[in-house]
Amino acid sequence: MVHALEEIRRVLTPDGILIDMRPLADNWRVEVVSLREVKRTGRVEDLPTQTNGDLAANEAMKAVEKRGWFKREQDELFPLFYSWDTPSEMEEFVDDDWQDFVGLTEDTKRATRSAWAIADGDSRVRVRVEILIARWKKFS
Amino acid sequence: MSLQKDPDRYEMKYLHKFVDLKDKRVLEIGCGEGRLTWQYAKDAKSVVGVDLEHDSLRVAKVDRPVSVESTVTLACADSEYLPFTKEKFDIAILAWSL
Repeated sequence: MVHALEEIRRVLTPDGILIDMRPLADNWRVEVVSLREVKRTGRVEDLPTQTNGDLAANEAMKAVEKRGWFKREQDELFPLFYSWDTPSEMEEFVDDDWQDFVGLTEDTKRATRSAWAIADGDSRVRVRVEILIARWKKFS
Repeated sequence: MSLQKDPDRYEMKYLHKFVDLKDKRVLEIGCGEGRLTWQYAKDAKSVVGVDLEHDSLRVAKVDRPVSVESTVTLACADSEYLPFTKEKFDIAILAWSL
């Protein structure tokens, strides 16, 4: 990671900006949402390797800051949603696309199906992901 | 499949809040299939999107909107060995790739 950041620094102009935008691995909430309410039904289970990925990325940014390559100017967290019409579509997506690193417990699946079944007609199912965005300025 | 990813377009809102892309030369590392790229490319002077995944880049090349064809260049590259000797960029975006 540090080598990649060194490469980025090399190709940036002297006052160039680096934007680091990435999802944080922990606490991906599963929710059933309608115009009237948001009901939390569980969370996506994340594996230790994912959380370790966050730590490694943070360490890499700390290292390049310490070396005087970049200076952190601004950072913030914001939510990003994956949204589906039905719980089964969510489960299918998680099984097919996220199977390597996350999963849903049976409790979460059951709670989501139940909440969706009794919710308003416009209800959807979603996973809320926390995204970190940080702005770094290149030090010449 | 009814998946909507970021239907509220928070990524773009925050990207614009954090950086002014107007007339800037942008390097996006980890552009994937271009989902984010297409959304901001029209604002930038030029965009080079790189990714290691051939399949994702193939999709990106097919999906690239006509309106940004002259603005966006896509390349298969490793972020640890960026294939640029003279080119310089005003902004680098690590999109879900650090």
